[in-house]
Amino acid sequence: MKYVIGIDLGTTNSALAYTELKPDADPLDLPEVRLMEVPQLVNPGEVRDEPLLPSSLYIPGSTDFPAGSLALPWNPEPEVVVGALAQKRGVENASRLVGSAKSWLSHSGVDRTSAILPWSAPEGVKKISPVDASSRYLEHLRHAWDSKMPDAPFGEQQLLVTVPASFDAVARELTLQSAERAEFRDVTLLEEPQAAFYAWIERHKDWRERVKLGDLILVVDIGGGTTDFTLIAVTEQAGELTLDRMAVGEHILLGGDNMDLALARLIADQLAQKGTRIDTLQLHQLWHNCRVAKEKLLEPGARAKEQPVTILGKGTGLVGGTIKAALKRDDIDRVLMEGFFPNVPSAEMPARQRRVGLQEIGLPYAADAAVTRHMAQFLRQQASSAEHERVRRGPSGLAAPTHVLFNGGVLHARLIRDRLIEVLDAWLATEGFGPVQALTGEDLMHAVSRGAAYYGLARHGRGVRIRGGVPRTYYVGIETAMPAVPGMPAPLKALTVAPFGMEEGTSIQIPNREFGLVVGEPAEFRFFSSTVRKNDSPGALIEDFGDELQELSPMEVSLTSTEGTGTVPVSFETVVTETGVLQLWCVARDGRRWKLEFNVRERIAQ
Amino acid sequence: MGRIWLAIRSFFSILFSGSLPEDAITQLGLMRRGASKPKAAPAPPAAPRASDGALQMLSILQRDSRLIDFIMEDVAAYSDEQVGAAVRGLHDQARESLARYVKLVPVIDGVEGTFTKPAVTDPAAVKFVGNVPAGKPSGGLLRHKGWRAGKIDLPPLNPKQDSTIVAPAEIEIE
Repeated sequence: MKYVIGIDLGTTNSALAYTELKPDADPLDLPEVRLMEVPQLVNPGEVRDEPLLPSSLYIPGSTDFPAGSLALPWNPEPEVVVGALAQKRGVENASRLVGSAKSWLSHSGVDRTSAILPWSAPEGVKKISPVDASSRYLEHLRHAWDSKMPDAPFGEQQLLVTVPASFDAVARELTLQSAERAEFRDVTLLEEPQAAFYAWIERHKDWRERVKLGDLILVVDIGGGTTDFTLIAVTEQAGELTLDRMAVGEHILLGGDNMDLALARLIADQLAQKGTRIDTLQLHQLWHNCRVAKEKLLEPGARAKEQPVTILGKGTGLVGGTIKAALKRDDIDRVLMEGFFPNVPSAEMPARQRRVGLQEIGLPYAADAAVTRHMAQFLRQQASSAEHERVRRGPSGLAAPTHVLFNGGVLHARLIRDRLIEVLDAWLATEGFGPVQALTGEDLMHAVSRGAAYYGLARHGRGVRIRGGVPRTYYVGIETAMPAVPGMPAPLKALTVAPFGMEEGTSIQIPNREFGLVVGEPAEFRFFSSTVRKNDSPGALIEDFGDELQELSPMEVSLTSTEGTGTVPVSFETVVTETGVLQLWCVARDGRRWKLEFNVRERIAQ
Repeated sequence: MGRIWLAIRSFFSILFSGSLPEDAITQLGLMRRGASKPKAAPAPPAAPRASDGALQMLSILQRDSRLIDFIMEDVAAYSDEQVGAAVRGLHDQARESLARYVKLVPVIDGVEGTFTKPAVTDPAAVKFVGNVPAGKPSGGLLRHKGWRAGKIDLPPLNPKQDSTIVAPAEIEIE
């Protein structure tokens, strides 16, 4: 038996879905995609199947758990705890908890391959790298599969791992590295919003009747820790409807956890005004209780105006020490609706990152909590990509979606979905368009892994495939040949090496540019990307790009003396592999090739 | 006297057989090279006692819902409101936890207050109350449906763990 396995490696939760691969089955009769429950430690000494694997990792010390209580069916003595127990114990002792490893994976301000997590661990705790942490989750899923499906070894299945659309080439490469470290073979990466859309297609076999040529679908994905936007256009090829992924947003570290914490802080403030102060552990309990209370208040049909939240007494005096508070519906409306989803005009852009003096190095959380402003920015940015005729636009240049698809746990709440639609409709009305239509999806928590499994079949020609290619334009920095001015860096130009939308399984020779690589010395290239500039063709040299380009980790290549002596003239070749990985090669005139590797260590000094 | 005797025995033993007698080695606290330490017999895994499952259930209810804290606390001094606030969350969690480990089902799945003819008459499963006739009663009003543990799904006990610990003491490091 052969399966396609789709893995949603999430910021807060991971999931695994699978479907049977039957090459000779009727291509229109799509098989069912199933979810695998993940066995994991939920309490010391208790392994249980759970629908999700919390992406939490705990590095146990000698006093943390009774001996032998961490055994898993496949490992009697794991070094680290992964999943529900890690999450639980992490609340009690946050300094040994690794959370949001995925966000660290895309954070270029730190060396993502060195052991830096948990970020605030006390000395003596054996830290691990973001790449390593991610690989532990994947490894857990691999073992879980093998323990449940002994007849179909994990290594022989087709594997898909999802990444945020906003992940740049470096973060994707690092995700692949963690997959390799977890002994995954031949992994294909897939963007999460696309996966969510595939899940919608999988649930709606008649999707061709639900959308039409020229439609533009906005995918809004708000998970526990990140917010991701994608635009997919409905186009036509040889008389058949096809789907093109037109744009992806930037990486926004903003999600449901922020919202629940904001509510918990509000309650903590209200308590403080009454003279009751709570500590960090109690805030965590409050955080959790606020999430539960919020979900109850926002449940369809809920009429209650408030929901009690209590913090139980810490000692054995449970009732005596109980702190009472209530989460009011009005507070949710105010904090969530005004703080996170304000009804703003489409011209309102998110506040810029505050960079005040010494900022604590940690995750670069979004400076502006307003999801709607980030959405406005995303739709505005599409104004500059004029070549994309298929993107419906208003007179102001705002991309004007016809449909919206929601994904991620936060969007379970109808209140929030309705607010996003309300805001979008107002923007569309200003541009002279009718209201947006919501594509109803089900199972917002598992859509990504389900969609990934579906996509695995699509790669075998069964089911529709979204055309995408690389979601950014990539550049290599070239210092201009100008007389050096003391104290001033030479002005930089950017050579386009991968155009926006470059498709999987293609390669491009970059014309007009040759470099001399010195044998025995590492050559380093500054590397940039842009989600905004979409018209630059390969080989084009860009000047004065302002802040449209973002610098990524540099790339380097080193020729050893076995490859000759002196200087070897080379040109660039860009390859996007079938599995969606961007590679840059140096090609000598005689056809010899060397691959450029990311150097993620470099930018930390800045 | 013991020392002289030991010295003489050791002397002759070395002289004739080339080694110390076994008891002299023990007495002197020595060890024969190459010989392994007498192994402490591995402690036999403590056989689970009948009370272990009960203690485990208590400890689960305490861990998940803090039920033991609640029961052990003197709540007489607190207002109903205060008790209510604490109990609401506790109740949800205790119920969830119980449902997970011990699935409780009614003994008689009927409507309380209606006439019921029980299928079984085992006094442990069905209790007749009120004007019970001398013979076997055929039926009556269902006052209480009763509870039966339909399925028990407790995690295996860790033999190395002290099962009498219902809840560990907690020490916070500031």
